[in-house]
Amino acid sequence: MSTRQSDSTDGFEEPDDDKLFRDRVRENPRPAMVWTAGIALLLLLEIGRVFAAVGQLFGIVGFTVDLLASVPASVGGNVVGTLGSAAGFVATAITATLMAFAVTIPVSPSVPDAAVDVLGLDLSRRGHRWAKRAELTFVLVAVAGLIAYTPFGGAFSALIGAITGGVDALASSLPAITSRDLIPNAGHRLPEGGWEGTFLGLSPAVAWTIRTGLVFAYAVAFLVWLWRGFNVYRTHYRLADWTPRDDTVRRFRNNYWGLFGFAIVFLFVVLALWAPAVSPVEAQHNIYEPNAHEFEYLSEDGEVTSTTHVFANLQSRSDGQNTIGPMSYDDYGRWAPLGTTNRGQDMMTHLSYGARTSLVIGVTAIGLGGLIAVVLSLLSSYYKGITDIVTVMASDTVQAVPALLLIMLVSVVFQEADHPIAQPLDGGLLLALIFAFAYWPGMWRAIRGPSLQVSEQEWVDAAKSYGQTPFQTMRKHMAPYIAGYILIYGSLLIGGVIISTAALTFLGLGINPPTPEWGRLIDGGQSYVSTDSWHVATIPGIAIVLVVIAFNALGDAIRDAIDPEADVDESEAAATGGGA
Amino acid sequence: MSRWEYFVKRLLLTVPVLFSVLTFLFIMLRAGPIDPVAARLGPQAGAADRAQLRERLGLNDPLWEQYVDFITDFLTFNFGQSWVVQAERDILDIAVGAAPATLWLGFWAILLPLFIGIPLGFYAGLNPNTLGDYTASLGGIIWQALPNFWLCVIALAVLRRTRNDGGLFGFDWYTLGPDFAARDISITGTPRLEWISTTDVLMLPVPYINDWTALAIDIKLILPPAIILGSASMAAELRIGRTAMLETVNSKFVETAKAKGLSSRVIVWKHIFRNALIPLLPVITSEAFLLIGGSVIVEQIFNINGLGRIFFQALTQGDLPMAGALLFLFTVIILGLNILQDFLYTVIDPRVGYDQ
Repeated sequence: MSTRQSDSTDGFEEPDDDKLFRDRVRENPRPAMVWTAGIALLLLLEIGRVFAAVGQLFGIVGFTVDLLASVPASVGGNVVGTLGSAAGFVATAITATLMAFAVTIPVSPSVPDAAVDVLGLDLSRRGHRWAKRAELTFVLVAVAGLIAYTPFGGAFSALIGAITGGVDALASSLPAITSRDLIPNAGHRLPEGGWEGTFLGLSPAVAWTIRTGLVFAYAVAFLVWLWRGFNVYRTHYRLADWTPRDDTVRRFRNNYWGLFGFAIVFLFVVLALWAPAVSPVEAQHNIYEPNAHEFEYLSEDGEVTSTTHVFANLQSRSDGQNTIGPMSYDDYGRWAPLGTTNRGQDMMTHLSYGARTSLVIGVTAIGLGGLIAVVLSLLSSYYKGITDIVTVMASDTVQAVPALLLIMLVSVVFQEADHPIAQPLDGGLLLALIFAFAYWPGMWRAIRGPSLQVSEQEWVDAAKSYGQTPFQTMRKHMAPYIAGYILIYGSLLIGGVIISTAALTFLGLGINPPTPEWGRLIDGGQSYVSTDSWHVATIPGIAIVLVVIAFNALGDAIRDAIDPEADVDESEAAATGGGA
Repeated sequence: MSRWEYFVKRLLLTVPVLFSVLTFLFIMLRAGPIDPVAARLGPQAGAADRAQLRERLGLNDPLWEQYVDFITDFLTFNFGQSWVVQAERDILDIAVGAAPATLWLGFWAILLPLFIGIPLGFYAGLNPNTLGDYTASLGGIIWQALPNFWLCVIALAVLRRTRNDGGLFGFDWYTLGPDFAARDISITGTPRLEWISTTDVLMLPVPYINDWTALAIDIKLILPPAIILGSASMAAELRIGRTAMLETVNSKFVETAKAKGLSSRVIVWKHIFRNALIPLLPVITSEAFLLIGGSVIVEQIFNINGLGRIFFQALTQGDLPMAGALLFLFTVIILGLNILQDFLYTVIDPRVGYDQ
């Protein structure tokens, strides 16, 4: 629906019977309103978490902007060292201008043409386009300079700080149906029996089960409602009775192996997104700062005393001699649905937050790598010639080095140097960036054939001769055809990324403590596999196997659904994780 | 473009690739975020020591001079000496000393999957949609998703458990075949490879095996890590072998052969088997990637002093020049294997050409 809208704003004449999506909703508002009310209710139930997510998003955007903003200055700083401070300033300015210009290329078509007419120049189409980009670049650089070098910047960051602070305050004050406050499972036994501090005085095990069940029920309800939304759109608001996408969806729905994969991936994503809700103890208390947090328990002499998590963890280790196995309480009345780790921390908490780590790394790496692959494949198939050869060489270079060893070396180099990029997620972000760097050539090779084919099509020629800009031609007439392929490879590769992340952490080269990661659990439990504490290394291993199988099944199913005849060479993509 | 022209073009393309790999390594090791002097001496070193080392490493030279030196050194395999791992020993010597163990591991890790994966895949392809097919395919899917490092941990635990007939599986790995318990050797460790010697036949050295027990011991040492290292390739071979078999069985020339009245034995062995092998060739050569990457993990867990383990030690102990040199050696091996693959393809399959 959104492409339809943007088509019309690009100046194409719409036929009369081709009404806009907005108009169609206005004519028959009821189904849309029912659906919107439903989604609003669902979001309202979890409003606290929604705001928490928005806050985290702000954090990520802020970090990315900070990182990008520091690039010109650091380039300038490097130049200062060799050529002097004036050259450094010029280098900073040039880098900033180039970066701003790169931003304007995709943005400028959506800026009204009137902006150029202000200049009062008589320009050709092409000149008009470049003038608009130059103008936008100038505005961007001016704003950036204003923020960086004048007091206006202080006011700007104060404003940003106020907004993020407000969102964070809302996140902590607003309720959520799955929150720990509403259904607490942390409490202590009473001397006369029963529990104090838990939900309705139930045992922590039952309270935790209720909360986790609620999380999954909520997630399933959300998914069902989204599916309903698609159906509402299809029956009430879509112009065509049938589109090829319907067949894709139908093929996917009838593929049971793919549905199995989808179900496991869904479980994994829910586990990652609701990690704070499904973990029986708070990660902050149990893993990150066990020294700073106390809790109460019923000691052996029948008194309710309080202790810190760090002390309690020492006594609840699963290290062969002691074992807190799955589905049991430790001596401090803390419920451990999957037992404890070799350091006495809660395994379920580790598993859910580790899922979060894996998911963030996998999605960032594949998203970024896929983006690079798509952009380069569009450029190299559109311009061919020297662009193509340079891309071939770059990808051959990266592929000539064994991926896992390359990732190890780069990760160690950056972590030894204590580079700022190695800070977020204790090296997780760094790892994701390296994966993107190491994996884009594979994805680019996979979609190279299809994009070369598309670039030979007549409609691309037509678009060129019609006077569409190269960017518009690539975006509207080429990219949609390779999007499906990148989706297939992305989901096949993400399993490889998860395995490799775990393997690197297992070796101690990936993500450093305290950020939870599945590979570290296996490392911690490897000496105890044949003892009573077998669960420490076994449970995360099985989790990895399941998730990887599921992503492979999902990728296969997406491939079959998008194009059953597709001649996709899966050997390369699926085997990448095998080295680990 | 003929296929030989295509091959030559691929051959020429490896030269710039080699140079850009070297440039990348130079950026990472010399011009990257890490200071080589600090990495070697540690933060407590005195200023005099630092200055001396800077001079010795050539870090005071202009960057382009360092770059030229770096590239010429690497291209002539003059890597200098190891810093920490085996201090003051030539890096090339260390690599040559560690190579046999890795080669022995890689040999078995390629051989075992070939003789398990391909027959299983062909069996599944010949009997599609039977119980045997489903079992083999599902096994392949799971086998491929199993992380090597976890398999190593579990396999070692299970094998250790079988000691003194205490196993759940009814065998004792320690006494099975060559008796490890009696000889007091660990089930993990570096194969010694001392069973081979050469004798002169008509002035030419001919290798022969002089100690069959030692050979058996080395094979037994390497079997578990080799199976695990080859696991992903085995699964890939199974999957692709199955597809290739299915496609070949349903092709026209097999129908013709049937119509000619050939026996099914001849059809399977002469017409199907040989053609189904073609798509498996790149899988087999690309195994080298997996083996080199995976050897780090497997060698580390199974205590095999091969190239992978030395690379890992170089990384964790801050011996970055050695890690860079090893990475370069691996890259050269892989580029060589790529050329070999292209060559084999050009020879075996006349249909391959440079078509876009």
